[in-house]
Amino acid sequence: MNKIIVHCTVNHKPVAVETAPNKRLLDMLREDLNLTSVKEGCGEGECGACTVIFNGEPVTSCCVLAGQAEGAEIITLEGISPDGKPDAVQQAFMESGAVQCGFCTPGMILTAEALLAKNPDPSEEEVKLALSGNLCRCTGYAKIVEAVLLAAARRREEAQA
Amino acid sequence: MKEYAVLAKDHIKVDVLEKVMGTAKFAADYRMPNMLYGGVFRSKVPHAIVKKLDMEKARALPGVACVLDHTAIPGKNRFGIIFKDEPCLVDDKVRRYGDAIAVVAAETPELVDEALDLIEVEYEELEAVSSFERAMEEDSPKVHGDTNVNVRKHLEYGNVDEAWAKCDVIVENTYSTHILSHMFIEPDAGLAYLDEQGIMNVIVSTQNAHYDRNEVAAMLSVPQNRVRVKQAVTGGGFGGKLDISVQLHCALMALYTKRPVKMVRSRSESTMVSSKRHPLTMKCKTGATKDGKLVAVDCVMTCDAGAYSSYAPAVIGRAPVHIVGPYECPNVRCDAVFVYTNNPMCGAFRGFGVPQAAVCHEGQMNALAKALHMSPLEIRMINAQKVGSVIPTGQKLTESVGFLDTLIQARDKAAEVMPEALDRLTKV
Repeated sequence: MNKIIVHCTVNHKPVAVETAPNKRLLDMLREDLNLTSVKEGCGEGECGACTVIFNGEPVTSCCVLAGQAEGAEIITLEGISPDGKPDAVQQAFMESGAVQCGFCTPGMILTAEALLAKNPDPSEEEVKLALSGNLCRCTGYAKIVEAVLLAAARRREEAQA
Repeated sequence: MKEYAVLAKDHIKVDVLEKVMGTAKFAADYRMPNMLYGGVFRSKVPHAIVKKLDMEKARALPGVACVLDHTAIPGKNRFGIIFKDEPCLVDDKVRRYGDAIAVVAAETPELVDEALDLIEVEYEELEAVSSFERAMEEDSPKVHGDTNVNVRKHLEYGNVDEAWAKCDVIVENTYSTHILSHMFIEPDAGLAYLDEQGIMNVIVSTQNAHYDRNEVAAMLSVPQNRVRVKQAVTGGGFGGKLDISVQLHCALMALYTKRPVKMVRSRSESTMVSSKRHPLTMKCKTGATKDGKLVAVDCVMTCDAGAYSSYAPAVIGRAPVHIVGPYECPNVRCDAVFVYTNNPMCGAFRGFGVPQAAVCHEGQMNALAKALHMSPLEIRMINAQKVGSVIPTGQKLTESVGFLDTLIQARDKAAEVMPEALDRLTKV
C-alpha cells in the first residue's frame, strides 16, 4: 500500500508523518508518533478512551482516518503539560481520587481540558454532559466530576490573582 | 478518635502520577525491536469436532512467521484456575463459539488478519448444549467427560424439614440473575519474548501473574523459573482478568519464532471469550414467625456455567453460604448444581456469586415483610446478624459485625437527604 504524508500540528509542534492511508488517527498517534497515552478501548467511538483534542474539540481518534488530520491541530495528554508537571486538571484528578485503573484517564482529562478552555466556570450538569462520551468502569464518575469542578475553581482563582 | 498515619486521611495513590501524565505503560503500549503481532483463529460453531484444519495457505503468505495448532504445544494443553479443562488450542473438540483453534504471528496486524482469513476448517457439528435443563437430561451431549455436572455443593444447617411447622408464614419464589460481561475498559493484551538466558518473559494485562506463570510453564513444559510474568499496568479486571487470555498464545508463538510476539484483543474478541458472571437461578422457600423472625431457608440453586470451569468451584462455595444474607436463621439448606454447557465460560466477577445470592435473600425479605404487614426496614432490623450470631456454616461471629449500625445510620441519613425513599422502606 502506498504511504501518505500527513501534515499537522501535534502537541504544539508541526509534524509530517509518513503513514498508511488505511490507518486511523489513533494508530498514527500510537504507532508512528509513539504517543501511547491515547488508548483504544472499543474502536468504535463509544468509550472515549482514545479522545484527543482536535481543532479544539474532544474527538474519538478511532473514528478519524489519519488522512483527515491533514492541517489539523491535535493535542494528546503528552501535550497538556510539556514541562513534565501536572497541570490543574491532572493535579485535581490525583487529589480527588478520580483515577483507579487509569485507562480512561487520558481521554477524561482531555475532554475536561477542552470543556474548561471554552467554559471556565461549568456547572456540575455541564461537566457531566461534557464527560458523557467517556466511559469509566472503575470509579462511578462522582470523583471525576468533582475533580473537574475543583480544577475549574482553582484555575479561576489563579486567573483572578 | 485516635490519630493514625494513614486511616481517615486523604492520600494520593502511588501510581497515579504516571496515569494522569499518560506515561503509565499498559500491555498494548509495549513494543520491542523485531516484534511480531499475533492473532487467533477461533471457532464459529459452539460444539464440534474439527475434522480438517488447513493452515498451508496462511503459512505461505509472505510476512507470516508461524501458524500453529495444538500439535505445536510442547507441554500441557489443558489449563484453568481450579480444574484444568480448557485447551490452549483445541485438540479433541470445540466446546464454545470462539474456542481457539490456531494462532498466527506475522509482521503486521493486517497480515495477521489476512492469514486468519486463509485458514480453512471443516467441522463435524454436534448438538450444542445451551441450557441448564438440557445439560441435565440423560440423553444430552456431554461437554466434558461423561457428565455435564461441573460442581455440586450441599449446605445443611439446623433441621429445615422440621422447621416449617414453627413458621407462621412461608414465602416461595424463584429468582434468576443474568450472565454479564465485566467490560473492563482495557481489552486484554500482552507481549512475550525469550530473553538471552532463554527465559520466557510475558508482559500482560492480568490480575493473576503467579497463576499465569504456572500455566505458561506447564504449557511450555519448562520449570517455573524459566518463565517470568510481569503484570503491566492493568486497565480494570473485576475478576475478568484472573483467567488466561493471551499469555499462552503469545508464549507459544515467541517460542517458535524466537521473536517477541504481541497480541492485543479487539473489544469484540475480548467480550466473546473472556469470562462472565455466573447466571444463577434460585428457587427459594423462606419461613418466619409472626414476629418476623426467620425460621428456615431452603434454596435450590442452579447455574449454566458455560464451556469451562474457571472459578465455578469458588462461586459455588460462596453463593450458598450467603443465601440467608446478613440475617440470623437457625435452619438453612442449599443445594447447588453448576453445569457445563456450550455457552460462554463463567468465572470470577466481583463477589464470587454473593451479589447473585443477594437478589434472592433481599427479595425474600421483602416478600416476608409484605406477607407479615411489616416494613422492609423493620424485618431486616429484627433479623440482622450481630456479634454472637451463628451463620449457616456454624461459625460464631465474634467481632466486627456492622450491619445493624449501618442500617440505623443509613436510615438516619436517608431521613435527611431522601425522605421519600425512606418512606417506602419504613412503611408497611
